[in-house]
Amino acid sequence: MNSKTKGTMAGSSLFPGKLSINSRTKSTFIGWSFVITAVIMICTFYFYPMIQALILSFQSGTGTNLTFVGFNNYTRLLSDSTFITAVKNTFIYLIVQVPIMIILALFLSVLLNDRTLKWKGIYRTAIFLPAVTSLVAYSVIFKYLFSNDGLVNTMLLKFSIVPEAVNWLTDPFWAKITIIIAITWRWTGYNMIFYLSALQNVDQAIYEAAKIDGASAVQQFFKITIPMLKPIILFTSITSTIGTLQLFDEIMNITKGGPGNATTSISQYIYNLSFKYTPDFGYAATVSYFIVILIVVFSIIQFKAAGDRNG
Amino acid sequence: MKKVLMLCLSAVLFLSACSSSDSDSSTSDAGADSNKVTIWAWDPNFNIAALNMAKEIYEKENPDVEIEIIENAQADIVQKLNTGLSSGTSKGLPSIVLIEDYRAQSFLQAYPDAFYEMSGAFNKDDFAEYKIAPTSVDGKQYGLPFDSGVTGLYVRTDYLKEAGYTLDDLQGLDWQQYIEIGKKVKEATGKDMITLDPNDLGLIRLMIQTAGSWYLEEDGVTPSLAGNEALKEAFEIYKGMMDANIVKPNSDWSQFVANFNNGDIASVPTGNWITPSVKAEASQSGKWAVAPIPKLSVEGAVNASNLGGSSWYVLNGDSAEQAADFLGKTFGSNKEFYQQLVTEIGAIGTYKPAAGGEAYGKEDEFFGGQKIISDFAGWTEEITGLNYGMHTYAIEDILIVEMQNYLNGKSIDDVLSDAQAQAEAQLK
Amino acid sequence: MVKLKRIAVYVFLTAAALVSVFPIVWMVVSATNQSVEVTKGRLIPGAYAAENFSNLIQTIDLVPALINSMKVSISTTVLSLLIASLAGYGFEIYKSRAKNIVFNILLLSMMIPFASLMVPLYRMFGSISQTIPAIGIDTLTSAVLPTVTTAFLIFFFRQSTKMFPKELVEAGRIDGLSEIGVFFRIYVPTMKTTYAAAAIITFMASWNNYLWPLVVLQSPEKMTIPLLISNLGSSYSPDYGIIMMAIVIATFPTALVFFLMQKYFVAGMMGSVK
Repeated sequence: MNSKTKGTMAGSSLFPGKLSINSRTKSTFIGWSFVITAVIMICTFYFYPMIQALILSFQSGTGTNLTFVGFNNYTRLLSDSTFITAVKNTFIYLIVQVPIMIILALFLSVLLNDRTLKWKGIYRTAIFLPAVTSLVAYSVIFKYLFSNDGLVNTMLLKFSIVPEAVNWLTDPFWAKITIIIAITWRWTGYNMIFYLSALQNVDQAIYEAAKIDGASAVQQFFKITIPMLKPIILFTSITSTIGTLQLFDEIMNITKGGPGNATTSISQYIYNLSFKYTPDFGYAATVSYFIVILIVVFSIIQFKAAGDRNG
Repeated sequence: MKKVLMLCLSAVLFLSACSSSDSDSSTSDAGADSNKVTIWAWDPNFNIAALNMAKEIYEKENPDVEIEIIENAQADIVQKLNTGLSSGTSKGLPSIVLIEDYRAQSFLQAYPDAFYEMSGAFNKDDFAEYKIAPTSVDGKQYGLPFDSGVTGLYVRTDYLKEAGYTLDDLQGLDWQQYIEIGKKVKEATGKDMITLDPNDLGLIRLMIQTAGSWYLEEDGVTPSLAGNEALKEAFEIYKGMMDANIVKPNSDWSQFVANFNNGDIASVPTGNWITPSVKAEASQSGKWAVAPIPKLSVEGAVNASNLGGSSWYVLNGDSAEQAADFLGKTFGSNKEFYQQLVTEIGAIGTYKPAAGGEAYGKEDEFFGGQKIISDFAGWTEEITGLNYGMHTYAIEDILIVEMQNYLNGKSIDDVLSDAQAQAEAQLK
Repeated sequence: MVKLKRIAVYVFLTAAALVSVFPIVWMVVSATNQSVEVTKGRLIPGAYAAENFSNLIQTIDLVPALINSMKVSISTTVLSLLIASLAGYGFEIYKSRAKNIVFNILLLSMMIPFASLMVPLYRMFGSISQTIPAIGIDTLTSAVLPTVTTAFLIFFFRQSTKMFPKELVEAGRIDGLSEIGVFFRIYVPTMKTTYAAAAIITFMASWNNYLWPLVVLQSPEKMTIPLLISNLGSSYSPDYGIIMMAIVIATFPTALVFFLMQKYFVAGMMGSVK
């Protein structure tokens, strides 16, 4: 939490000395009035239910037959093999998929930001479209593409890239790869949007100056684009981390967690505990809070790694 | 600035438009009006169609009662019902809901005060015996049994003929013989015998019910996996099919359907509700037949089983009595109605007095003139009744994982005792 | 060399675009085929588009659902953008220690899986129904309210505001603008592309939102598009031709919103304001 203290110091020196004490209180008042609606709404619709979920996480039982069990649910987590597998799988997705997607999205957005590029609108729309597509359609289609005699295998075999058909959906290793491909396919265009919008706020004069100094495109990318986009890169990596740790749709619709539980995710487990099995909302809430703790830890790491002063 | 103001204004207008139109209809709420019966169910071609027929019949005699049928996917109903019931808010819940038999005990026991007892609304002895255990608790009848999940072995007679078999060879089979036939068929035609989704153990459920066995003891809560002879044999047969190389894998419903619509497989052992999907490929008319389901070799096993199927439940509330009356007078006792169900939507009920009716004896050209409805109705009565208990899907998820381990070489006894241990830990 | 690079860029982008749209093309093609052909994975357009469409219209109330989805998505988008941008701006421009703490706490709200909030939220709306039925269970307002303010969007606006030249705020004050005037007259026009991105994302999320509307909307006449599509697949014998047609129609509005909004992503917009 160190970075936050630093952040505050930087923040309070934004208008140093320019405001009298009186106008400073006034400014505080104005500042709060900008954020107050959001704060009230989030408290009502998120924190109030979150507190109830927290209370629930100390209870267990089916449906409405709940009893208070203290920390039992939390200790049960540690010996729950399905849960442990789900955590492992989710971590694999996180570590492999998020970096690939962030880099790909960044790269695409830089290419698509080029003023001289033709058919920009078409390219952008095409790459964004996967995010819009209904999950139902995309899961049906994905399963066809990746089935044993599906198009992907047919192509790979035709060009002799693989010696025999890959079991994309029924092999524990390849099923994870399929999920990673599916998430990347669906969410890269989505993340690209944030970068594209941010790139508009980068002053073109900086690039002009760099060009005159003889900086190559690669140098411009690393020396100008990345540092300028840092706040948004931080934003997308945190939100993607959250998205991955809460991953549900792709798993549920493409592999249902299988083969066995080779692709199951934490959120799928929460869903199963709440709705597929005889509901145990208490234990489901405990699993949710485990995700919260994980995400908090990751977010702090990311804020620090980005050296964000104002997080 | 102006644009922003316009936008804000339009948003406010939109919202107020929504809420005003909302408040109009919220006066006619289900909870407030005991003459309005709201029903949740899934499948427009089947359950919803059946409800619409029942509604027509009932409203003719009870013009002051309004019946509203709301269609939702099954998974959606399970979610909505669980959320509503566990929040303790009766607002927004229906008067009647359709629940799958495998899940019924979960709901009845997890929300003990939520359901209306229907013992008085119909005579439970009129219904197939195997439907009673899942729909009742402690002898009290809560569910009104609806569709039969009676199973059959759908076969491609043309492929069988190529391998030298006729329909007569498929009577009274056990699963071992089924595999042998599968091998011959594969040899003769190159077609796989069956298509399976590794994430769905419906076939295992179907197999063990032929022997009257289940994942749980009769109490409906104690896992019965280790030392369960029927389950052990079912697992061995499942692996036997894999080893015999007669299985075409699928990964979801659409591929499952496609596999037989494409003519890629020679048989489909499943519930009778698959009939419309089989018939969807009209070009295969005359090439199909339905044989009795193979059985396990365990003592007492029969050539009849069940897969899926669901029943009607009434939720406590102002309109509960009205709702029970509606069910009792239609699904609970109307023979004519069941004849209509068969002719118009091909739905096979579990109401025994209806089975003798004329509609049941109709020949189906798609199945080479076989009287499939009457065959299914006959098998329905042979199904061994079971208490599915509370944890079908929780245990099945454990078994799905252990099945993979078993296929990869783990010994069957370890597989089942590990599954038993996990189930006990999870369900304590 | 420059030309070669240029070609490489086009080849790469075209490949990426093709991979991205291929499943969507498949979906559109499927909408013109019979269900049996769809399940076989047929890739050639068929002649059943009109039939699928008319069957679709007959089986579900498409138009009312589209109108409901429009109401929900448009009001969510407009309100979200307003509330979140005010907050993002407030947290960044009027930075203070207390506000930073509040901001960090707000971020916590996006870390819990929504599935765990559903039961308490439903209970809350159940009790709201007793007093103010107009915003209680089974109203479109109840589907909108919990999704209208997200930490996600506030976070996005705050991070984007970090790239906003703060001198402009001072300049506005010197020109005699009020604080709220600075926001509406300087910040909003300058951050057009940020608003465009936020609008796309929010509209899309709201249009496709499933879990909460599913639970809170009960009457058929209140259902939104994703709920209807889910019903279509609920049958033992689903008609995939009709499903694909429904999905094509449901996808169209978001794709259109994107295409219209992406025009605002023009390089160097910011430079021109300065």
